[in-house]
Amino acid sequence: MTSLVLTVRETLRYRGAIGQWSWVLHRLTGVGVVLFLALHVIDTSWAVFYPALYVKAIAAYQSPIFTLGEFGLVFAVVYHAFNGVRIVIFDYRPELWRYQSGAAVAVLIVTLLVLAPVFLGMAGHVLDFYFTEHAIAGDKLLDVVVFSIIEQLPFIAGFVGALAAAIVLAALYGMIRDGGSTVAGKYPEASPIERFWWAFMRLSGILILPLVFGHLALMHVVQGVFDITAAQQVAGTLQENGSIGPVPTAVEFVYHRWTYTAWGVFVWRVYDLFLLVLVTLHGFNGLRYVLTDYTSFHPFARRISSALCTVIAAVLLAVGAAALFVPIEKDIVGEALAATAEIYELRGEEVPAELEAYLTGAVEGAAEE
Amino acid sequence: MDVTFKIRRQNPEVPGQEKPYWQEFVLSDVDPADRVLEMLHRIKWEQDGSLSLRRSCAHGVCGSDAMRINGVNRLACKMLIQDVGERVQIEPILGLPVIKDLIVDMEPFFDHYKRVMPFFVNEDPVPEDGRERLQTQEDRELFDDSTKCILCACCTTSCPSFWANGHYVGPAAIVGAHRFIFDTRDQAGKERLDVLSEPDGVWRCRTIFNCTPACPRDIEVTRAIGEVKLAIRKGRTDGIIRPNEVQ
Repeated sequence: MTSLVLTVRETLRYRGAIGQWSWVLHRLTGVGVVLFLALHVIDTSWAVFYPALYVKAIAAYQSPIFTLGEFGLVFAVVYHAFNGVRIVIFDYRPELWRYQSGAAVAVLIVTLLVLAPVFLGMAGHVLDFYFTEHAIAGDKLLDVVVFSIIEQLPFIAGFVGALAAAIVLAALYGMIRDGGSTVAGKYPEASPIERFWWAFMRLSGILILPLVFGHLALMHVVQGVFDITAAQQVAGTLQENGSIGPVPTAVEFVYHRWTYTAWGVFVWRVYDLFLLVLVTLHGFNGLRYVLTDYTSFHPFARRISSALCTVIAAVLLAVGAAALFVPIEKDIVGEALAATAEIYELRGEEVPAELEAYLTGAVEGAAEE
Repeated sequence: MDVTFKIRRQNPEVPGQEKPYWQEFVLSDVDPADRVLEMLHRIKWEQDGSLSLRRSCAHGVCGSDAMRINGVNRLACKMLIQDVGERVQIEPILGLPVIKDLIVDMEPFFDHYKRVMPFFVNEDPVPEDGRERLQTQEDRELFDDSTKCILCACCTTSCPSFWANGHYVGPAAIVGAHRFIFDTRDQAGKERLDVLSEPDGVWRCRTIFNCTPACPRDIEVTRAIGEVKLAIRKGRTDGIIRPNEVQ
């Protein structure tokens, strides 16, 4: 902790050039994106495993608090991507170092140029949603915000659980071998692992670029989070959201995406699998860099940091891959409908007649059986 | 002209001064062409004899008077008053334990330096004429820049990675290693690269570029670090580091 406090304070006091501030932004945006990644992977897997929870998660993303967060997220991803390219260039062509500060300025300019139209597009979605499609009743706004915060409690519990697991793992590892480097001049032995991760971060960063920009374009600009529940053709597929259930739902959106095939391949599942693996490994190794930088004088804390990143990354990879590999049944659309009605009520909107009829019909149908 | 010096002071031996504090000194009759180091002498000799600092040659060669001047690491003997203005803030370099006022304990810094074996290794018999081992001008050029280091620690103590993590070998030690890794006559490149590929070796560098402008000798520090990283990446397979040292 003291190491972190000292570094933050002195980074503010030291008059480093623009490279120093690029590094600060790169760290902040990286940590921000990786935290959202954890929510996002788990949430999305719910579409398959717990459709009702997925409906609520998307409703939370559509609340004002996440709407603001989405702008921050998109900024973070875009800046981190461009600055990452800059780092890769100067790491592999160190003789070009004289151009690095110019490149840092260029990264900022390009980020702003890209974000201007993107933010305009996103703002259009926001305005459409709040003022025309789903005018959330003014007195319900607070309820919606509170709901979307409460929805995140399981994640906080999840992080605490992962931390506990990491502490246990770190303690067990410490019993097997002494991984400490507490005394200056005493180092853990050389290993090729860090060499691998250094190259992996750069290679994966470059591979992620087209994937993540495609994902951002599709999910934040063309069809933002607000269009997931709209009666529209699902972008990247030939299906209409609402063609299975009585009303369009977030779960049906995912169903169409993940069942869409071209040339006999589930295109979006393959796409999402690459994104999942590359971003999770890149993100949590990056988080490990950050955490181990600031725990260098506490070998146990350092081991916990590494274990924590490993545990969370492993869980995300397992859960995410499970959702992408299981066969998807149409039933999940039906399972989402009761929760969809709840969201209408939460927002003070009238539940559509088709949905109401479907739900009563389903109850009667069940009673008759 | 009058110049105000705001100096970060600390003296663990005197009660009440164990914690760092700022003290201001005002000097009159200062010439813009005066050096900051001379002004620190004047403060010590004319106003407060207890002010402690390190200096030896006073001409930018020995590297003993590195300090943070107006927020950046500099040698006090190479800075003129006209470069720093009429209000000058001076504090010890960061990341090494402060012994007193502007004097820091350089031992951790030198420990890192020693780790990379900063000396020439060649077990072959001396040439038959008994004179020096010859080298082409192009080969000499490869490490020319990194021979200029004077071990002042300006680069290492400007690095946020080193502030956070004193186990990181730091820019200066990597420049010291670069001097020999890229020397075609040297034979211990592999050992040096092994040290630098440890978890707290060269990979803790985040390409922040604070070290390069901090160097009073204008060494291209970040470039040298980058070349060492690439040597570790590629050296074992295609030998971008020439001959002998990497198998």
